[in-house]
Amino acid sequence: MPNLPVLVIGGGPAGLEAAKGIADLGYNSILVDKADFLGGNPIFADYAAITPDMRSAEEAMDEMIAKVMVNPLVDIRLNTTVAASEGDAPNLNVKLVNGKGEETVGVGSVVVATGFQHFDPGKETQMYGYYEFDDVITLVDAERMLKGGNFIQPSTGEKPKQVCFIQCVGSRDRQIGNFWCSKVCCGIATKEAIEIRHLLPDCRVFVFYIDMRMYGFWEDELYWKAQEEYKVNFIRGIVTEITKRGDTVVVKGEDTTMGRPMEVPMDVVILSIGMEPSEGTKEMAKIFHIPLESHGFIETIGGALNTVETKVSGIFAAGATTGPADLEDSISTGGSAAMKACAFIRKAELQTV
Amino acid sequence: MSVTTTTPPKASMREFIRKGKPPTEDYRELLFELEAKGELEVQRVPEPYVEVETKYGRKKKIPLEQTWHHKSCGQCGHIPGYSTAIFWLNRKLGYEYHDPRDQTSCTAWNYYASSTSNSGAQAAVAVRNFAQAKLDGFFPMIHCGTSYGHYKEVREEILHHSKLRDQVRKIMDRLKMPFVFPEEIVHYSEWVHVVRQEIAEKQVLDFSGITATVHPACHYHKLVVEDAIYDRELYDGQRTAIVTALVEALDAKAADYSTWHDCCGFGFRHILVSRDFSRSFATVRKIERMKEEADPDVTITHDTGCVTTLDKSQFAAQAHGRNVGIPVMSDAQFAALAMGAHPYKVCQLHWHGVDMKPLMEKMGIDHEKAWQEFEEVASRLKDNGTEFMTWEDADA
Repeated sequence: MPNLPVLVIGGGPAGLEAAKGIADLGYNSILVDKADFLGGNPIFADYAAITPDMRSAEEAMDEMIAKVMVNPLVDIRLNTTVAASEGDAPNLNVKLVNGKGEETVGVGSVVVATGFQHFDPGKETQMYGYYEFDDVITLVDAERMLKGGNFIQPSTGEKPKQVCFIQCVGSRDRQIGNFWCSKVCCGIATKEAIEIRHLLPDCRVFVFYIDMRMYGFWEDELYWKAQEEYKVNFIRGIVTEITKRGDTVVVKGEDTTMGRPMEVPMDVVILSIGMEPSEGTKEMAKIFHIPLESHGFIETIGGALNTVETKVSGIFAAGATTGPADLEDSISTGGSAAMKACAFIRKAELQTV
Repeated sequence: MSVTTTTPPKASMREFIRKGKPPTEDYRELLFELEAKGELEVQRVPEPYVEVETKYGRKKKIPLEQTWHHKSCGQCGHIPGYSTAIFWLNRKLGYEYHDPRDQTSCTAWNYYASSTSNSGAQAAVAVRNFAQAKLDGFFPMIHCGTSYGHYKEVREEILHHSKLRDQVRKIMDRLKMPFVFPEEIVHYSEWVHVVRQEIAEKQVLDFSGITATVHPACHYHKLVVEDAIYDRELYDGQRTAIVTALVEALDAKAADYSTWHDCCGFGFRHILVSRDFSRSFATVRKIERMKEEADPDVTITHDTGCVTTLDKSQFAAQAHGRNVGIPVMSDAQFAALAMGAHPYKVCQLHWHGVDMKPLMEKMGIDHEKAWQEFEEVASRLKDNGTEFMTWEDADA
């Protein structure tokens, strides 16, 4: 059989790592992304710094992008979408569409790395006033400001004196059907809280949480540091709604440690929005007939021992395509998917010899 | 390091786009499935009706006429101008309705206070009323927010529990009445909402100088949330549009305040067993906040318990010199006044606790003349030994 390439769909961290890994193993890949740039959500959403080491997200992504850009085994197609697929791996014919037209390419295997989308904070619960109040923003909005090295109260342009984060917006919520923890929001909120305190030492920062989920080293590198060095206030409690008193946004809810209602005026409220399967992920599941698991992400078949193989032979998934994932998960599964995709093609080659 | 501030988009630039399926099941589908199996009969919303969007984007049909008015114990007992105003509006807009005399009380208040009844009895009361409406040839329209919320909970139970359906069926068989459930459970304020432009067209008083705060009833928008009306044009589609849309249609100013989402204080259990809590909550959390933040001329709401609690609780607070004193009335009374309804003979504002006179003056109502007219009719009734005022008396 011909030496068919692996199709990597999505140029975010998982897709970039997969494309690099495939090339390192000596195989060709076609890396497609619907955007006109590589880097995925960290670039699209202007992430400032990586959690937890605070390294510049743009710099880290540039490093990953550079490794595939100069690699002759990686055929990069930007502004390109996957429109259809025929046949079975290792003999798949996939239709790619871009502004110039369409092209059908033969591929031996596929890595789906189409990732997640940020939860819409107005969806369903609609009690946080994101679409009503200028000073209610999301983690992504805050990240964009922090990337520019500044943090202001959007309605006034002034430096805020009191800022809070609300955790689990769109995560762990039976009412809206998002049962899962999005894994990264606690870490990112804490990182942003540190950044705000660093930029604005006079600004009080609060984090309202159900419970803080600080995996591994995030515990001391972020959580303890935020409390001990940056004096961020973590308050266990459920925020029920956000309203306005005059020009001031008011956070209302229950302090569950103290067992009493709370009502706190804030200059800026940051909603820690979670992850949902992206439209691209849902679309690729349809095109390649990949079953979704109960939460709507792409289902993998190996449980904890095989996090990238789907029910469709020769189709692999990486990053937040299969569920909430942090950067470490995305890079790890990107590499794993690369190895398995190449192994799949290699086995097919051996069978045809 | 160079500083480039990327300000987040203004709220007005953020567009809420609904995606995916609603998170809750569609009760209509389940009702029709049960009907197809012969388990019950679904009473269709009669034409003409208006379709409105509910919280998750589904459409709800609100009938304009042929309505069977399921009244509220508290309205009839404490604030009779509330239900009179609803009927007055129907008559003035030319919509046919039925005011039944054989409605069964829903018992929901005690249910919410955890003090009475069982699921079979409660469901049977709901279905008995629905069956009576069907037999009378009208479609149920619920005046009371408590009954409305409770019937929606009953609907959930009936849809999902075959044993409960069996229990209800046995009771209905003994009553020799059909097991009927309406396609939609409709609150009267939804009807007011959909006819608000008609009301505005017939408006005779100028409300442009009136500032109103709105209190949405918990049993309307927090219980079975997917059934409440939302409108992208109001609160950016993030809060129920009920009542506020009417206030704006009548050219009054709907002023916001920070405890908009809070309960009025009624709370069912509280009003029964901890009334001081209800009174304090109503005055401290709601009325004082409104006063402090919006200083409205009036507060408009759409449920019995809310009007009563917000209004009557101010009496004691006023005696203690608290910052209270906001007139409270229902959307139906507000709408009827706008259309020229008599403030005492129809809206019966003299049953309300807070002084309405400054509000009436601002609305352009001669309340002294109105009171004299009311007293004349009352004295005539007394002289004639007649028990009730007629519609002719009300409009005279």
